[in-house]
Amino acid sequence: MTADGTPGAQLRRSPLDTRHRALGAKMSDFGGWEMPIEYAGGGVVREHTAVRTSVGLFDVSHLGKAVVRGPGAAAFLNSTLANDLERIGPGQAQYTLCCDPGGGVVDDLIAYLRSPAEVFLVPNAANTAEVVRRLAAAAPAGVEVRDQHEEYGVLAVQGPRSGLVLARLGLPHEHDYMSFVESDWQGQPLIVCRTGYTGEHGYELLPRWDATGALWDALRRVGEELAGTGELDAAGVVPCGLGARDTLRTEMGYPLHGQDLSLQISPVQARLGWAVGWGKPQFWGRQALIAERELGATRLLWALDAVDRAIPRAHMDVLDTSGRTVGVVTSGTFSPTLRRGIGLALLDRSVGEGDEVAVDVRGRPGRFRVVKPPLVRPSTRVG
Amino acid sequence: MEYPEDLKYTSEHEWVRAGEGGTVRVGITDYAQDALGDIVFATLPEVGAVLTAGEACGEVESTKSVSDVFAPVSGTVTARNDALDASPELLNSDPYGEGWMFEVALKDPADLDGLLGVADYRSQVEAG
Repeated sequence: MTADGTPGAQLRRSPLDTRHRALGAKMSDFGGWEMPIEYAGGGVVREHTAVRTSVGLFDVSHLGKAVVRGPGAAAFLNSTLANDLERIGPGQAQYTLCCDPGGGVVDDLIAYLRSPAEVFLVPNAANTAEVVRRLAAAAPAGVEVRDQHEEYGVLAVQGPRSGLVLARLGLPHEHDYMSFVESDWQGQPLIVCRTGYTGEHGYELLPRWDATGALWDALRRVGEELAGTGELDAAGVVPCGLGARDTLRTEMGYPLHGQDLSLQISPVQARLGWAVGWGKPQFWGRQALIAERELGATRLLWALDAVDRAIPRAHMDVLDTSGRTVGVVTSGTFSPTLRRGIGLALLDRSVGEGDEVAVDVRGRPGRFRVVKPPLVRPSTRVG
Repeated sequence: MEYPEDLKYTSEHEWVRAGEGGTVRVGITDYAQDALGDIVFATLPEVGAVLTAGEACGEVESTKSVSDVFAPVSGTVTARNDALDASPELLNSDPYGEGWMFEVALKDPADLDGLLGVADYRSQVEAG
């Protein structure tokens, strides 16, 4: 057997780095940041299951943060980012895309609308600098675009019991999915968002960078207090790594930028037309995307559900029943919920829902059924 | 990490336990199971398969990645751990016990002399 896993040098570190190491986390490079993949005594399957059935706690402080502010900030973003910010009001969040003029995706991100003059952005770690650069270069006089990557930490509390945990800390928890509250905790500002990347009821908390450790400790302490009381099972609030975050999001069919979505994979191909404000007069990539939508995308992102005992992995070829290559796997893993291999794949338009395809798994064909994502029913809006 | 004293090891992280009548039992080490993470599928050679030392004869796959299992010795497979088909997590929870993989009737008992002792294996793993 062969094994690897060598963290590179000069990676950026989360404010919780020493806590992760103390918990025996396996650390790995994630978008230029050294982040926990899984914890000792946990593991991807156990951590994943905690989120689906109870509550898990993720450090996602590597995620980018940026603010766009000044008169007309929201209007400026609405003329650049793809989704229509006029669909939401202050206090609401929106999944949106930063596209290239060619229609490819520079990044997918969440926009938190504070007011017409201020929008907070959470892009992916590896793309933050580029998103900020593009916005800053295009911003009109009076609109400031500022990278706040290391001004806030991000903790994701995810799972059906997550609201209970926030309630114990006296934090707001009853707001709607895709909305946020600017709150405070122990005299420090804290943004509490009903967002996440798991498909469960959950929250993303943004404390100040230096206050992230104290909030993590407080959340873990609530877990210890409630463990085995009937409110939470014995595991309490389970620390979860980015390994479980990936299996959770893959079950939901949520695209990961750099794999299922990229400068080469447009929102039309990735089934993200719902995140494009088609009626808007202006946004980056508008002409190219409208043309692609009218012509029909040549390939489409589908979910794969294993018929055989096989796990698809990114970059593997997908073949039809006659052995012709019809696409490529963009994400693949083992689904802890379904107990079988699952994946996302970009497939030619000749392939449709319910078709059977073969994935070339290291020279052996593994059989998969083509299905519309999600593979597991989401519970984001529950409760 | 635990590496029992009475086993032989390979640099590909398999262990070999010498048994009676020229038969050995094979599995993966504590280091290997930990590096892989949660193992969800194990593919083992069938009974009767003829193995050549150093050649791939199986696979262990985790949520994250897949690794080949290499035959540590040459010979014929006399048993496989069928329990791993339904419970591959035994490779994580008990790699030297219930998580054993297969047994081989040695073609040449001298194969064992070419394997690593525990001290050598441990220093190799610890050197990274």
